[in-house]
Amino acid sequence: MEITVLVQTTDKAFEILEKARDEARELLYSSAKLTSETKSLVEKKEARAIFSDARQKRLAIRNFIITTFVLFAFWILLSGRFDAFHLILGIICTLLVSYLSHDLLFANIRVGDIRIRARRFFAAAPWFLGQIFSANLHVAYLALSPKMPIDPQIIRFKTKLESDISWVALANSITLTPGTITMDIREGEFFVHALDRKVAYDLNTGEMEDKIAHVFMEADHIYIQDVLDVARIFGALK
Amino acid sequence: MISITDDIIIRTVSRVLIPFIQVYALYVIMHGHHSPGGGFQGGVILGASFILYLITHGLEEAKERMSELKAGLLSTFGILLYSGIGLLCLIMGRNYLDYGGLSTLLKVIPAQARSLGILGIEIGVGIAVMGVMFSVFFDISTGGILPEDEEDLGVNR
Repeated sequence: MEITVLVQTTDKAFEILEKARDEARELLYSSAKLTSETKSLVEKKEARAIFSDARQKRLAIRNFIITTFVLFAFWILLSGRFDAFHLILGIICTLLVSYLSHDLLFANIRVGDIRIRARRFFAAAPWFLGQIFSANLHVAYLALSPKMPIDPQIIRFKTKLESDISWVALANSITLTPGTITMDIREGEFFVHALDRKVAYDLNTGEMEDKIAHVFMEADHIYIQDVLDVARIFGALK
Repeated sequence: MISITDDIIIRTVSRVLIPFIQVYALYVIMHGHHSPGGGFQGGVILGASFILYLITHGLEEAKERMSELKAGLLSTFGILLYSGIGLLCLIMGRNYLDYGGLSTLLKVIPAQARSLGILGIEIGVGIAVMGVMFSVFFDISTGGILPEDEEDLGVNR
C-alpha cells in the first residue's frame, strides 16, 4: 500500500518535473525566436536606412550634375562668347548656382527617369501643338459666328496626377489651349473655366491628363518603376 | 511674417525658375564690361531671386537658404572686396581704384589689368547689393512683429 503511494507520488513528481522542463524549453525557444526576430528586424531597418541614405546622396549628386549642365547651356545661350576666359567664368558661375540651388530644379524625380521623360516629352509635343491649333480654330469660329454660341461654365475635376510639377504642367497646358483657363488647384482638384460645351467635353474626356501622366511617368507607370527599384535593391542585398 | 504659399503653380514655377534667374544675374555681373548691366543690376537680380524664394516658400525655409546673418556678412564682404581692390591700387602707387597699377601684380598689360580690375569691382558690388537687398526685404517682411502679436494686429500674411 505504502509502496504504491510512494510510486504514485514519484510518478506525479516526475510528471510535474517533465511539464516544468517542457515549459522552460518552450519559454527558451520563444525568447530565442523573439530575439532573432528583433535582430533581423533591426538589421533590415539598418539595411533600408543605408540604402535610402545612399540613394539620397546619389540623387543629390545626380541633381547637381544635371543642373550644372542645363545651367551651363543656358549660360552659353546668354553669353555667346567662346573664349576660354568667359567659358571658365561660366563654369564657375554655374557650379556656384548649382551648389546654391541644386535641390530646386529637379526636385523629387527618381533615378533614371530623366532620359525617358525627355524622350516622352518630345514625342508628346506634336499632339499638344495640334490640340492648341484645333482649339484656336474653334475659338475663332465661336468669336466670328454672328450668334456667338458660347456657354461659359466652370468645371471641376479631381486629377490622378501626383507630383506638383505634373499638376503645373497640366494646369498650364489647359491654360495654353484657347477656350479653357485653369483658375485654381486645391489639393489635387482643378477648377477650370471653359468657354463652351465642346471645349468642356474635350477636357472631361481626360486625354490631356493621360498624356501628361505618360510624360511624367505617373499613375499606371509608377508601379512598374517601383518593381524595378525593388529588384535593384534585392540584387544589391544578395 | 510670410508663410509658404498654398498656390501650387506659383510655388512650382518659382522653384524651377530660380536657378535660371540666378545664372542670369551672374551673367549680367560677369559681362558688365562688355554689354549693358554690371554689378548693381546683377546684384539686384540675384537678390530678387532670393526674395522670390522667400515670398513663395515662406520665411522658415528661406532662412535655411539665406539667413539675415549670411546676407549681412555677404554685403560687408562685397564692400571689403571693392575697397580692397581700391586700396591695392593705392598700395601699388596709383590713385584709389586706378586699376592700371595692378598690371605688375597680375603680370599682364595695363589694359588687361583694367579689365580684370573692373570685373573684381563688379563682383564686389554685386555681392554687396545682393546682401543689402535681401536684408532690407527681410527686415521689411518681418517688420519687427513677433509671431504672438500677429493675431492681435491681424497681419499674419
